[in-house]
Amino acid sequence: MAVVKLIPHLLSWAGIVLVLMRGFPQRRPLLAAASIAGFVFGTAGAFILFRSLSSELSFAIIKGAVGAVFLLLWGIAVAAIYSNSVRDLSFSRGARFVDAPLCAGIGALLAGVLSGSVCVSSFLATSGSPMTLLAVVLAAGVLVFVVMALDSLLPASYTVSWSGLWAAIVALLFFSSSSVIRLDIFSPLSMKVMKFSHDFVHQFFESMLIPDHLFIRTYLWGYIGLLFSKGVGFWGALTIWFTPVLLVLLAIRFELLPSVAHIRQGAQRRKQLAAAIMTRRYRLVPPVIALAVFGAAAYRSSFPSVEYWDPKPIPVSANAAGEIFIPRKGEIDLEDGKLHKYLYKKGGKEARFFVLLTPTGQLTVDLDACAICKPDGYGQAEGTVICYYCKTLIPLETVGKPGGCNPVPIDFTAREDGVHIDAMALINKWSSTVQETARVKEGGK
Amino acid sequence: MKRLLSVCWTVLSSRALLPLVCGIFLMTYIGIAFGTDDTLIALMGYTRSSVILTVLLALIPVNGACRMLAETRRFLARRRALRVETTDVPAALYDETVEMPVSPSFGDLPARLGASGYATRHTDNVLVAWRGISAFPARMLFLIATFCIFAGILVSLTTRTSHRAAVIEGQPLPTATGGGGLVERIAMRTASGLILSRVLSIEVAQSDSGDAKRVFGLYPPSTYRGYFVYPRYLGFAPVIRLSAPGGQNYETQGTLNIYPPGREDRVEIAGSPYLMEFSMEQPADGSDPFITGRVTFLFRLLKGKELLFSGSAPVGGEFVHDGYRLAIPDCKRMVSTDFIRDYGVLMIWTAAVLFLVSGCIWLPVRVFFPRREMRFAYARNVLQGSSRAEGARRRHGSVFHEALDYLESGKSKMDKTL
Repeated sequence: MAVVKLIPHLLSWAGIVLVLMRGFPQRRPLLAAASIAGFVFGTAGAFILFRSLSSELSFAIIKGAVGAVFLLLWGIAVAAIYSNSVRDLSFSRGARFVDAPLCAGIGALLAGVLSGSVCVSSFLATSGSPMTLLAVVLAAGVLVFVVMALDSLLPASYTVSWSGLWAAIVALLFFSSSSVIRLDIFSPLSMKVMKFSHDFVHQFFESMLIPDHLFIRTYLWGYIGLLFSKGVGFWGALTIWFTPVLLVLLAIRFELLPSVAHIRQGAQRRKQLAAAIMTRRYRLVPPVIALAVFGAAAYRSSFPSVEYWDPKPIPVSANAAGEIFIPRKGEIDLEDGKLHKYLYKKGGKEARFFVLLTPTGQLTVDLDACAICKPDGYGQAEGTVICYYCKTLIPLETVGKPGGCNPVPIDFTAREDGVHIDAMALINKWSSTVQETARVKEGGK
Repeated sequence: MKRLLSVCWTVLSSRALLPLVCGIFLMTYIGIAFGTDDTLIALMGYTRSSVILTVLLALIPVNGACRMLAETRRFLARRRALRVETTDVPAALYDETVEMPVSPSFGDLPARLGASGYATRHTDNVLVAWRGISAFPARMLFLIATFCIFAGILVSLTTRTSHRAAVIEGQPLPTATGGGGLVERIAMRTASGLILSRVLSIEVAQSDSGDAKRVFGLYPPSTYRGYFVYPRYLGFAPVIRLSAPGGQNYETQGTLNIYPPGREDRVEIAGSPYLMEFSMEQPADGSDPFITGRVTFLFRLLKGKELLFSGSAPVGGEFVHDGYRLAIPDCKRMVSTDFIRDYGVLMIWTAAVLFLVSGCIWLPVRVFFPRREMRFAYARNVLQGSSRAEGARRRHGSVFHEALDYLESGKSKMDKTL
């Protein structure tokens, strides 16, 4: 099973090495050495991280690094489109730096570090001995030699532009990280886009002094309401996700053809232009593949192959003093580390909540909903709970803390016999936060 | 000093500045997102209070202005280059420049270029040809729009002042300095427009301070003493008369944001331990209470946290319970209004219009009539050929190359091409 888990990571790794070798064909030995050294550093670094820090922090560091690489790709894509379409802007120094052996070496090293750390983090949080790590490193090393052999079989004309190279590397890294649900970037991105869209529309209306929905036609407000919907988060995130690669494609497509005005034979001119156009087309191949890989990563993120623990809510009632009591032990063991859902109903109103023992050993009682999304509830998997609405993963360590897409915490009293919850406070909390978000998500009315 | 100015000009007029500044703001946004969920509001707050971020944002409109200057200069230089009298034309104005040691005999090149749609002008030593429409006007509008939108955001962020007050019929308009005209009437009616479902009007009489009689609507917002009058929420200001069993009598005018029906608001009865929660009954005939003025209040009377009773009373009616008597003798319409001083709004709307106009000009020009120019000039025994195109580059390049072939050999394949 662990070997199956590693397949996407090792495939991505092989792809990264191949793209690097195509990008810097004169520096294959340097790249092979730098990338494998990076992989070893990444593996060792991740091992040390997971052994010395909490898994939440370790994942956050690696995820932050992957996110930073995505921002770097954005920078590269914008620079590429500017350098290829704006004539009075010179990037000659940058281009020289990019072509330098130092840059190639550093790039290969960083790609190796990230690949290694992402690869081993897929199993380090739960298990992983030094021998397993050694096996992974050996497999990665063998793959480098396989890729070198494969690379020597490819025609020399299949080159990669520097922007296409980084697009492909980042795409493969994302493909790798999307198979570790706690390193997934796409779902948190959707969530942030949704929040941004909501804030932006609100601020825009206020700043531009646009009348409130009270005065606006229902059909029109229905359209505006789309900007508050889950779809906006998904499509907005897709736009941010694919745009850098599309920019790279456009940059390559609009690369200026070489000047042939000095050639006086028309056939010669056409031959040179045709050759330049053909090279340009070959260069489009890596970003096109990157686009597909980005798509696959987004798909894996939206439909993760993980089964969530999601028990059916158990109906509970309050006693005469208005208190809900849930025993620690009994039919259900509250301290088994699993999510236990309950449903409380009173006078046409209801509130869904869960009780969970966090990894810190504390019981927490929370609404089965957050203060932002529609109350679709949470499921539990691999040290996290997931918000079904926006697919954001919440590490178990932070469940019980308010804010963001975390489940809304409920005040309760933990005694030896079990947990005691004020039924009125529970209903009020559900009404004040959850029903409000449900209304907003349905169109802001 | 001159060198420093030159560096400043290069930086401020660089096309890289806009994406660079936007990139810095994006990074700041991402950084803030780690700390708070209200990232956009926090970023606006930081930009308002931080000199560095304000200056960074100000760089964008400055960059827009510098680009306008630089591109106008370049456009004028290109216009000059189309005059055959001009001799000194920098190669940087063109996409492609080539020099050939041939004699200046243009022969029937002007006619051939003319046949392929180019207008020409020539002397013995210089020939210029052009076709299509320049995208410069659209580009200029785009740059002005960029300038306006970022200057508007900057002005709005740094100078916006706002205060919210209740505008009540029969009371003076609550301006920041006081002394506003009397609000004579607040009226609302249903509208049949595409955008607004209701139309609101606030009629304000001439004030003692010399303000003229005004009527404020919903959109576009009007100004009063330099402040935009921005109606936000509707409600009522009823006179509440409460008699308690002990013989105590209280009277207060509440301002209740209870529109539309179902919304609740509360008011403290001044000088008493009582608190009242109000909402409004939805009329059975489906009419709008704010439009008709026929309001029935639903209320709950509380003493501290204890609920004493609940009931309903129309305007002009009263409610009696357990020795309590509640009367609502009068009720005025009320609009919770923001008074906003913000001149950035005008610039942002101007920018939106300019973006639209520039897009509408640029697209057809770029697709159907892209500007293409070429220039052949003979000087110091060398023929210099230059060419540029804003679109249809390959077709234009082909014509240019064939023209060069013609000039070099005297015979051409242009007939085929043209």
